[in-house]
Amino acid sequence: MEALFLSVRLALCVSAILFAIGMPLAYWLAYSRWRGKFLVESVVALPLVLPPTVLGFYLLVAMGPRGPLGKLWQALFGHGLAFTFTGLIVASVLYSLPFAVQPLVASFEGVDRKLLDASAVLGASALRTFRRVVLPMSIPGVLTALVLSFAHTLGEFGVVLMVGGNLPGITRTVSIDIYDHVQSLEYADANRMAVILLVFSFAVLSVVYGVNRRVGRRVWATWPAR
Amino acid sequence: MAGEVESGALTALIRVQRGGASQPVFVLDISVAVPSGITILFGPSGSGKSTLLDCVAGLLRPTVGRIAVGDRVLFDSSGGVNLPPQQRRVAYVFQSLALFPRMSVEENVAYGLADTPEARRGERVDLILAAFRVAHLRSRKPGEISGGEQQRVALARSLVTLPQVLLLDEPLSRLDAELKASIVEDLRAWNQTQRIPILYVTHSRDEVDALAQRVIAIEHGRVIGQGHPREVLDAPRRTRLALAAGFENLLDATVVSLREADGVMSARLAETAVEIEVPLSYATPGDRVRIAVRAGDIMLATQHPSGLSARNVLEGQIESMEHRGTLIAVHVNCRSAVLMSHVTPGALRSLELSTGKTVWVVLKTHSCHLVSD
Amino acid sequence: MTYISKILGVAALLIMGSAVARGQGAQISVAAAADLTFALNEIAKEYESQTHNKVKIVYGSSGNFFSQIQNGAPFDVFLSADLEYPRKLQAAGLVESGTLYRYAIGEIALWCPANLSLDLKNKHWNALKDPRVQKIAMANPAHAPYGRAALEALQKSGIYSQIQPKLVYGENISQAAQFVQSGNAQIGIVALSLALSPAMKSGETWEIPGDMHEPIEQAVVVLKRTKDKPAARSFFNFLKGDSARGILVDYGFTFPAHAPVAPSTRREP
Repeated sequence: MEALFLSVRLALCVSAILFAIGMPLAYWLAYSRWRGKFLVESVVALPLVLPPTVLGFYLLVAMGPRGPLGKLWQALFGHGLAFTFTGLIVASVLYSLPFAVQPLVASFEGVDRKLLDASAVLGASALRTFRRVVLPMSIPGVLTALVLSFAHTLGEFGVVLMVGGNLPGITRTVSIDIYDHVQSLEYADANRMAVILLVFSFAVLSVVYGVNRRVGRRVWATWPAR
Repeated sequence: MAGEVESGALTALIRVQRGGASQPVFVLDISVAVPSGITILFGPSGSGKSTLLDCVAGLLRPTVGRIAVGDRVLFDSSGGVNLPPQQRRVAYVFQSLALFPRMSVEENVAYGLADTPEARRGERVDLILAAFRVAHLRSRKPGEISGGEQQRVALARSLVTLPQVLLLDEPLSRLDAELKASIVEDLRAWNQTQRIPILYVTHSRDEVDALAQRVIAIEHGRVIGQGHPREVLDAPRRTRLALAAGFENLLDATVVSLREADGVMSARLAETAVEIEVPLSYATPGDRVRIAVRAGDIMLATQHPSGLSARNVLEGQIESMEHRGTLIAVHVNCRSAVLMSHVTPGALRSLELSTGKTVWVVLKTHSCHLVSD
Repeated sequence: MTYISKILGVAALLIMGSAVARGQGAQISVAAAADLTFALNEIAKEYESQTHNKVKIVYGSSGNFFSQIQNGAPFDVFLSADLEYPRKLQAAGLVESGTLYRYAIGEIALWCPANLSLDLKNKHWNALKDPRVQKIAMANPAHAPYGRAALEALQKSGIYSQIQPKLVYGENISQAAQFVQSGNAQIGIVALSLALSPAMKSGETWEIPGDMHEPIEQAVVVLKRTKDKPAARSFFNFLKGDSARGILVDYGFTFPAHAPVAPSTRREP
């Protein structure tokens, strides 16, 4: 069960971080009129189409002593970033980025512009408009973003495989563990873990769909539009 | 109402231009001065009315120009001034109202008073809720109240901030006659006490009549008439305005002769031999003109009338009749000139009007207005 | 001829031409353990030059292939990094009779990039204790044959408990090598065949003595599912021949006692 706790811990950390960086990024994507915006949108969407092993490979190189991440980490902490829990967090944040950002953007964009105009005319700053008008109307999107980041990280395999190093209690997530059991022909163990993961993920997804049903089909209809 | 505002006139001299320097499209090119009181901004859709409001509110930046309220400059392209909407003290009620759906009526109305200390804020909110007769709805959400109530809440929300200018974009278009009347009353009452420029966009003639002290007619981004409603709308100078203002008959004609002494001229309706007398204007015989006449200004008679002051009496046959609500639109063919008249159902019955019947069409000279394209 | 007829004619010729070309030789699909990555490529090239057949090789972990083949993966020949997986396949009736053959004995080595100057040749195991070595990569002993051997050797070396916290595990020997090559681990216990390959030759290598672990006996099988038995068998037989064995020797492999070999007449890789 150590692997499952590890996976859950990873998923929680990643969701929290994605929430923190996803919100400002999504805000900018929703409201900016910069002509180069489509470039940023493409970069954010990359992990959706890149094979996880490609991302994992580039991360492995980047975390090495000659790579930008590796050099930074070595300078700051005196050791490498690969094969650490933090390394997994970095990898997972990148890999699940579009799952957090896209529902948020869709939600923000779904807010009627006239409401934003009205708020401005009534004297509210951009931040106050966001906090009091946009955010309350974006709760389904925020929830979707959080839950999807969590679920996606939980099921992650390829990227973790590439940079994890399979250390029990540190980087041996439940998906790696299942894979190992299969490789070692321990099918019963593999099956057990897989079922637990399946049930867990199903429960999480049911929450998302259930919430969205209650507050309307808005978010699901517009995601993943971009 | 506590807290009165006296502000200067709203002046706007602006041009809004889209497209590149090689092919500019002028969306708006106007100069207006709006004094205190209710001024109606009148014109067909796409004429630039909403664009003007957006510029005054600060939601759209004009390409060049100046907008000021009294001495207070809101926008000046040459001076580099462009106040954000938050600082303009302009209130704007959108056509869709834009009430915040997740907040209660009270929270909506209090929204613009965030900088006011709490105790004072509560007072002002209470007062305005009462003034607009929506106090009993204060805890409801916008989705839970009727259209008319929403309208009042939107007005209350905008006016509680004691703005220097009030902008209204077709605020009553979605309401029925009774509701319109009561809200019009509220606005008039407010206007009595507050004396701020109120710019009211509409294309409904009824609202003009009920509210306006001044009308600005706008078309294709340009002002085509400013002044008293009678002048601008009852004697429209442009075809599109005539159509918008409800002139159902638009007749092409050629000027035949002028009688300056009588202040009239006669014109022959196109492709007919029918001549009618119309007010004198700058024209010479042979000029092609267009004449606008309201269907309501045309009378019908089942006998050739005599002793009338009207100078135009034409015989014709009823070609068709159409029920339009409380009116009947009667099309009469007078020797190839087709004119439309409005009569009441009672008149229809008592005159026994029917298709094919011979009638006389009566048209006053001064009901004929010359319009240009 | 009309334009359309010309197009159709050319197309027909192309299709027939490729059919003829294909008919000339078979395509053999091979699953091979990661440690054979460079050695087998050379063997295949040699084989192709001598026959009209083409060899398509997929490298990966033996355990992976074992599962896939059990579930119907369409390989013709399987070169495992151990003896167990092929034996299990045979027991399951998936192997052509008489085609289980121990083609080589693998060796392991310590490897590090040259710039670290860890002096593996002299320090041997003690190099692992160097403070500059923060991570040591090896294949997962739970299911990779080379990983098992590495673990055995480490335990025999006497320094296992000391360096155990520094270990990181790759899914197969190839990934372990990848960890070291990318610099994320400083030393790796890799297959000798990989350490001697062109990609890694420039680094420091110390061949771990074969007596520190159970010999890594590697076996090859021809799978029953193969569509072209003659072709698959021809490749299988080629592996037994001198040419192939010579190449294997160049990559540090040895052979079970029953079959000595003549030295290779080829150039150094």
